[in-house]
Amino acid sequence: MWIYEKRLQYPVKIKTPNAKLAKIIISQYGGPHGELGASLRYLSQRYSMPYPEVKAILTDVGTEELAHLEMVSTIVYQLTKDLTEEEIQKSGFDTYFVDHTTGIYPADANGMPFSASTFSVAGDALTDLHEDLAAEQKARTTYDNILRFCDDRDVRDPIRFLREREIVHYQRFGEALRIATDRLDSKNFFAFNPEFDRKKMK
Amino acid sequence: MRQISAYRFSAWELHMFLDTHPNQFEAAKKLKETQKKAAELTEKYESQFGPINETSKDTSRWAWITGPWPWEVEANE
Repeated sequence: MWIYEKRLQYPVKIKTPNAKLAKIIISQYGGPHGELGASLRYLSQRYSMPYPEVKAILTDVGTEELAHLEMVSTIVYQLTKDLTEEEIQKSGFDTYFVDHTTGIYPADANGMPFSASTFSVAGDALTDLHEDLAAEQKARTTYDNILRFCDDRDVRDPIRFLREREIVHYQRFGEALRIATDRLDSKNFFAFNPEFDRKKMK
Repeated sequence: MRQISAYRFSAWELHMFLDTHPNQFEAAKKLKETQKKAAELTEKYESQFGPINETSKDTSRWAWITGPWPWEVEANE
């Protein structure tokens, strides 16, 4: 169950439209390291996860990613809403515009629509937690790359907030991995999968 | 709203920290204080600008559907 809150997690207030920037930032909405994939990954991995702390962290991080999804789409919305046809054509945003006008559609920077094949749910605690740690770093890298091409402070500020959250989530997943390994056989963490093999469960 | 967001952010951060550190008494205490402060500020805000979610005391239908919505610039002044 989720309840909507009528506010952003962190404010987004962009004064100057910039279609070129929108074209790259949309990747964090529907791209391979984006917030939609992040949220679906963590929320889908919860069900077979046996440890209470890890169930909680997957639920909470997966929920926060939905708030980030809203922030990224807000950035794209505000960057594109007052554009002229000429600006759209000049910036290269026309290839997006032709199908979506200025609506917000989950795709990557090349226009490829969102795909669940960008993430994995392996149903194995160690495999999934390593995937989650990597995912947070991948998102951090993409935010770093966005910052390379962005000198508008109104955009940099919320992007830096989102980048920082990836680092905090990485930290929490690191703790979750430690909690999981603490409950496995220290001589061979991979001796059995706690999400499937029932014997030797602690 | 900025103040609410700041307190809610702090509460959320403590809440997530406690997922992996459920025995941290100090953090739990701090979370309770932060949530109380956020609730007070939210009630004050909602009495003036309308509900921010369905559990709000203010159930005015018009205030809920009226903008600005969070993605609009005016909501982030």
